[in-house]
Amino acid sequence: MIFALELPIYDPLFTIADKLPVPDLIVTEWAIILIIGLFAYFSTRKMERVPRGLQNAFEMIVQWTFDFFGQLLGESVAKKWTPLLSTFFLFILVSNYSGLIPGAGTIDGFKAPTSDWNVTATLAIIVFFTVQVAGFREHKLGYFGNFIKPTPLMLPLNLLEEVVRPLSLTLRLFGNVFGEEMIVGMLLMMVPFLIPMPLMALGLLTGAIQAIVFTILSSSYIAGATGEGH
Amino acid sequence: MEGMFAIGAGIAVAVGALGGGIGMGSLGGKAMESIARQPEVADQVRTLLFITLAFIETLTIYGLLIAFMLVGKIG
Repeated sequence: MIFALELPIYDPLFTIADKLPVPDLIVTEWAIILIIGLFAYFSTRKMERVPRGLQNAFEMIVQWTFDFFGQLLGESVAKKWTPLLSTFFLFILVSNYSGLIPGAGTIDGFKAPTSDWNVTATLAIIVFFTVQVAGFREHKLGYFGNFIKPTPLMLPLNLLEEVVRPLSLTLRLFGNVFGEEMIVGMLLMMVPFLIPMPLMALGLLTGAIQAIVFTILSSSYIAGATGEGH
Repeated sequence: MEGMFAIGAGIAVAVGALGGGIGMGSLGGKAMESIARQPEVADQVRTLLFITLAFIETLTIYGLLIAFMLVGKIG
């Protein structure tokens, strides 16, 4: 069984009530949620009509993502799903970058969350259900008519497509972040200083691009489910 | 047997990178051409370019993942 996916065996950092193991990356996820939450809280605590500083930055992010998804999804649908998609973007971006901080992966309780199957699979499964819910909300029962278009013969292929999407989302994000980390790690074993730096700089780029790609793909799936053609 | 794993891992990365490299090369070349012809659409082309590059990169990454799995079987 060469190609069987082995479930990674975690040595949990600590266990809650002797039953629930908490691995490193969960702790990092908590920290990321806390960081994004605190930033959001402090930037919106004293809202001003003419934004300055943090509030300005956050308004820019919100405005930019809304415009962006508005182009892909159309105004009314974008209004419903932009919060979720922007959250994906921020979370994946910060997760990817957390792997570049020195000590990630070696310090207890600190590991880039997106460099693990389980986290990316979770995100992809959320996208999967979001697409179904969005399509159902927009077209009600007519949504299930999509699966037998153009002919009922296409039903198996259409169903397969729905299932393959979260799989490819998972593998893309996981493979990029994990592969990047492994390559930097191998280079570090060969040359300890300076040489891995260009690769880490490339990591800054791919981290942002992967976050953007994940959200663009999710939004295009939602657009496919809610669009007129379906 | 372990030697076969090593050879397989090498082939997985090499073939994956080969196809992806050819695709990325032609994609980048075409993008440059279109930007040179119409500099005003540079921003749109750049966005699409990066997205498409990410798609191609994914296929290469699949090969890399398989290689990691195979290398994990050695020793």
